[in-house]
Order: sequence, then structure tokens, then C-alpha cells
Amino acid sequence: MHDLAMNSTEHTLWVWALIVGLIVLVAVAALLSLLIYLVQIIDRRVVTVRDTLKAAKANTADTVLIPQVATGVDAVLAEGLQHHLFLGRVLGKVKS
Amino acid sequence: MTVLVVLTVIEIVVLIAALAFYLFWVGTLLARIAVNLEECAEIIRGIVADAALIGPGVEHINETGGVVAGALPLLYGMAEEIVTDVTPRPEQPAEPEPARPASGTRRSRLLHAVGFSPDLSRTSRAASPGHSRCTCPVGLPPS
Repeated sequence: MHDLAMNSTEHTLWVWALIVGLIVLVAVAALLSLLIYLVQIIDRRVVTVRDTLKAAKANTADTVLIPQVATGVDAVLAEGLQHHLFLGRVLGKVKS
Repeated sequence: MTVLVVLTVIEIVVLIAALAFYLFWVGTLLARIAVNLEECAEIIRGIVADAALIGPGVEHINETGGVVAGALPLLYGMAEEIVTDVTPRPEQPAEPEPARPASGTRRSRLLHAVGFSPDLSRTSRAASPGHSRCTCPVGLPPS
């Protein structure tokens, strides 16, 4: 086993490397905390958007009634045509 | 030297642990956001499906309603014509009655004083004799 000897300059550089590494560690923690904060804001906004879309979905859920209304209006038109034919027959008889 | 090695190892371990912790945290948040966004996409697809019915349906209703609105005047015109034709009219008398004042007959006290009261409601029968009644006690002949 060799005994690794270090002179004074190497020792100082190692210590400075440790200090710089500690600063980098703190900076990384700060930046990741900022990232977490921003992602939490995004999460809250996405929940708000989801709730708004749910309300919009509830509002547009009744549009399935529109084809039924169109069918009803067609029935009204057919009934009106029947009335037209009936009145035409009756009018011809009354005039004769 | 041993102290430096130990400190270096501790610093590296702390850095890796911090990175792992924050990455796990961010990963959890991003997974939740992904789930919410997936739900949003599903809701939007539903809204698009609902909105797709609006255009053709409203166009159909508008077209049919226009036809109905255009046909209704024809229908009630025919109905009015039928009603006009089948309504019975009062028959006109063969001999029209004479015109009488709408205010009625005027009462005369002079005639009443002598006991004469003309019955003008039966003027149409004036041609028949004895039309007017005379209740005169002094024996005036009826007119």
C-alpha cells in the first residue's frame, strides 16, 4: 500500500474543488427548486383548464337534441302538407 | 488526506441524492400533468363531436322552418275562403221594411191628452184598418 503524499498546492486545489462542488450543489438545488415551483404552477393551471373544459362539455352535451328538433320540424312540415291537401279538397267541394 | 476523500465522497453522494430527489419530484408532477392533459384532450374530442352536430342540424331546421313559414299563409288563406263560403247569410226580406228613425218615435203629449196613442211599432201593418188604438172617452172616432 502506497502512501499518497500531497504537497500543499494539491491540498489547496482539492479543498477549492470541494468548495466549488458545494456551490454547484447549492446552485443545482436552487434551480431544481425553481423548476419544481414552475411545474407546480403548470399543474394548477392544467387543472383549471380541465375544469373549464368539463363545464364546456356539459354545455354542449345538449346538442344531441338538435337532430331530434330537426326531425320534429320535418314532422310539422309533413303535417302542414296534409292540411294543405285537406283544405284543397274541402275548398273544391265548397266551391262546387 | 483521508478527510478530503471522505468530504469528496459525501459531496458526490449528496449531489446524486439531491438530483434523484428532485428528478423524482418533477417526474411525479409531470406524470400528473400528463394525466390531466390527457383528460383535457378527451374532453375536447367530446366537445368537437358535440359541436359537429350543430351546423347541419341548425341548417336543416332553418330550411324546413322557412318552408313551413312560407306555406302557412296559403293554408290560412284557404281556410278563410272555406269559412267565407260555408257561413250562412241572413235572407233578405222580399219586401223591405220602411226606414225608421233609430231614435224611436217621439211622444206627443197632445195626442196623449186626447187619448190617442199611435202604435208605430206596427207601422208595417198600417195598411190594415183599425191600426191605431183610440182610448178616447169622448167618443172620437179612430183615425
